This record gives sequence, C-alpha cells and structure tokens, in this order.
Amino acid sequence: MAKQLAFYYDQSVCTGCKACQVACKDDNDLSSGIIWRRVVEINGGDWIKQGATWGQNIFTYHLSLSCNHCEEGICLEVCPTGAMHKREDGVVLIDEDKCIGCRYCEWACPYEAPQYNDDKGKMSKCDFCYNYIDEGLPPACVAACPMRALDFGELSELQAKYGLVDNIYPMPDPSLTKPAIVITPHADAALAGAEGVSIGNVEEI
Amino acid sequence: MDTRDWALVIFTICAQMAVGSFIILGVVHFFVERKSGLQEADRMSDRALLAIGPVLVLGTLASFLHLGSPINGWRAISNIDSSWLSREILFNVLFMGAGAVFAVMQWRKLSTATIRNAIAVVAALIGVVLVVSMSQVYMIRTVPAWDTVATVLSFFTTTFLLGAMAMGTAYAANYTYMQRKSEPGCGPEGAQCDLLRYALRGLAVASIVLVGVTFVIMPLYMGYLSNDSAATQQSADIIVNDYGVVLGLRLALVFLGAVLLGGFIYRTASDPTRERWMINLAYTAFALVLISEVLGRFLFYASQITSGLG
Repeated sequence: MAKQLAFYYDQSVCTGCKACQVACKDDNDLSSGIIWRRVVEINGGDWIKQGATWGQNIFTYHLSLSCNHCEEGICLEVCPTGAMHKREDGVVLIDEDKCIGCRYCEWACPYEAPQYNDDKGKMSKCDFCYNYIDEGLPPACVAACPMRALDFGELSELQAKYGLVDNIYPMPDPSLTKPAIVITPHADAALAGAEGVSIGNVEEI
Repeated sequence: MDTRDWALVIFTICAQMAVGSFIILGVVHFFVERKSGLQEADRMSDRALLAIGPVLVLGTLASFLHLGSPINGWRAISNIDSSWLSREILFNVLFMGAGAVFAVMQWRKLSTATIRNAIAVVAALIGVVLVVSMSQVYMIRTVPAWDTVATVLSFFTTTFLLGAMAMGTAYAANYTYMQRKSEPGCGPEGAQCDLLRYALRGLAVASIVLVGVTFVIMPLYMGYLSNDSAATQQSADIIVNDYGVVLGLRLALVFLGAVLLGGFIYRTASDPTRERWMINLAYTAFALVLISEVLGRFLFYASQITSGLG
C-alpha cells in the first residue's frame, strides 16, 4: 500500500485554545487572512423541559483542521497546471512555480485547505511542515498542542490504533475525497446531526 | 462572489456566444443557400462571420484576468489527464484555431465550398465540445449546486440563445451596411431583404423556444437546490434572498427580449413596410438578452457553495 501521512486529532481532549493555529501561522509566516490550520467552534443545544422545570442541553466542541492530504484529493484532480501534487509520503504540496492562481482548487476543496495568497497571486496550503518531517521532527501544530490532542503518522497505523472516524460535523462526506485524518470524537460530537447545531466562530475560519 | 470572478462571467458568456453564433451562422447559411443560392448566402454571412472572432478573443483575454499569475497562464493546459479546466482551455484554443482557418478560407474563397463547409462542421463540433467541457469544469462533486445536469442545459441554452440573438443583430447590421452602400438586393422584394426577414423569423422562433426551455429548467433547478443538501440550500438562499432582485430582473429581461420582442420581430419581419422596426427590435432584443444572460451567469458564480467547510 502506498505510504500516506495523516494527522490524528483527539477531539475529546481539545480545549479549543488555538495554539495549533497560531503555531502554524507563526512557523509558516502566514499573512493576514490565511490560516492553514484553524479551529472551528461548534455550538448546539436548546432549552428542554424536565418535569416542571426548564433545563438546557447546550454543548460546544472544537474541530482543529488543516489540509487532510486526501487520498483522492479533488484539488489534485482539478488543478489545471499540475502545481498541486502528492509527495511519495502522501503529503499534498503546491509547486508555486507552476501555480497560476486560478483558485479552482479553492472552489473544489470541501475542507477549505487551499487558500489564496493575494501578495503572490498563488495558492497556498498546509505542507505538513515537510521540512520538519524530513528531519524527523513533528509538524509545528502537533508540537504546539498543550493537550497533546494532535499527532501524526502513517494513516493505516493511526487507523489501527484509533479507529476510522474521519467525519465530524461540519466536515463533508468523506467519500468525496478520502481525507487522511483519524479523529477520536468529542462526546457531544454525535449530537451534531441534531437540529440547531451551528458554527460559532464563522468569522474566524 | 470575488470581483475577479467577473472575468469568468465575461469569458464564459463570450465563448458560449461565439460557439452559438458560429453554429447558428452555419445553420442559417445552409437554409438561405437552399433558398437563394450560394452567392447571396455568402453576401449575408461573410460580414456576420467577422463579428465572432473578436468576441472569442475578448473572452479569452478576459479569462486571463481572473488568474493571480496571468504570466504563467499558458500552464493551464498542462493537466489534460484529469482537469476539465485544462480541457476547456485546450478546446477553446482549438475552436479559435479551426474557426480562424475557416474564416480566412471563407473570406478569400480558398478551396471549394464543400471543403470549407467540412472545416466549418469540424469547428462547430469542437465548439460543442468546448461548451460541454465548460460545463464539466463546474460539475465537480464537491459543489452540489453546480454538479447537476442544469449546468450543461443552461450553458447550451445560453450558447444558442445568445448565438441566435447576436447573429440576428449581425445580419441586421450587415443589411443596413449594404443598404447604405446601395448594394443590389437590399430594396423591397430584393433577395437580401428577403433573406434577412426569413432569417430573423427563424431566429425569433428559435429564441422563444430556448426561453421556454430556460423557464422549465429554472423552477426544477430551484426545487433541487431547496431540497438536496445544506450546501445547496445555502446556494438557494443566496439566489433568492441575497439576489432575488437580480434573479427577477434576469428572468424579466430574457422574457422581454426574446419572447415579447421576438414576437414583434416575427410580426414585423412578415411586413415589408416595417423594416426599420424589425432591425431596431433585433438590436434591442439582443441587448436585453445579453444583459439577462450576464446577470444569470453572475448568479451562477455568486451561488457557489462547496460542501463541508468550503
């Protein structure tokens, strides 16, 4: 089987502190508006009547997402120049010399991973900190997490260890692109299919 | 919608109008040749053909404006293997090339009419493939509002509607020019005058039918958007709530331009004393339908919502 690097995310311990997001931004020197890894805040719940009293069942969970370096990345498929390419270890990279900034990958990606860099007129995205990977070091986001909620490794090994969850609201149907991600879900994430769930920090992601 | 996406509105509208015009020109040429012979048909078509090239070139230049790095633009053709965007560019270049070869041969009357016709048919087929690949660019599985047969159907109705309208205008302009030069056949009962009426009647009928198709697709498509998924519901919300006025205007203008004025064109084309009316109506109808199609294409891009977090 082809090698495929993947992120592991333990949503059940994530506090939504955004250290991963900030470490990524800092390490990759990303300009304003570009966030390769971002933390989505999901809120839900309502008032519920219990006997004669009213209570609530509100909940919040977080979802830290970067590029999932999908096995069947639609960005790779639609890119007209071949700038979007997969390394041997499964990491999806953009060759800036080839990119023409047509933003087609941005339309197609259901994880909003490729983001447009207006200064360069090119697309940009999470590169799995391959410079660190090649030196045997962890990516910046993984190293930064105070809860040790993030990890990385070979997809099949992570799946064997943690299971096959790769779809938590608001992530799309995983069959669209086969994302290389393994998630240990937050206890309340199962409720996300219910009514009234919304993203709490739309302006941040 | 990103401001730069207006470049795509211009590109797709111009390229589709060029393909539609080229095909309509061929079909009309076929019928008028049977009616009045090759010489009269060529007199009618040759200058109208002149209008198509600049529209296609304008659209292609506009397409570069939507790129972040236009200098690198030529690379867009490199991923023919899997990217419909590459294929679209390829067929755009091929259509431009085949159309140009035909146009030069037609004006210089090189080779025989049969061979010229064969080249025109090849160019027209490439044009059809171009419109198909244009729709495939948008029919991506992660954008459910675009990934429907409505995209192909609406691209082709735009192609033929704008083609018919643009060629109606081109014939009328050519006729007016010939009249001013006092060329033969442009007076009452003249062959050119006769052909213009004949062509405009046919184009008016075709346009009314195409608007009928649009008015059938539209409600079905909106029904699909409201029911399919969260992403398509968001698209429907943008079209109806954010841009309801644009949608209303788009539908009103295409109805006014193609159906109402189309009907008037048909009637005035049957009455030799109302020639100026017929010609001015043809110009007005084209302007209204063009505005309508631009607004419709704006809505298409504005309602782009990717599944998931896109």
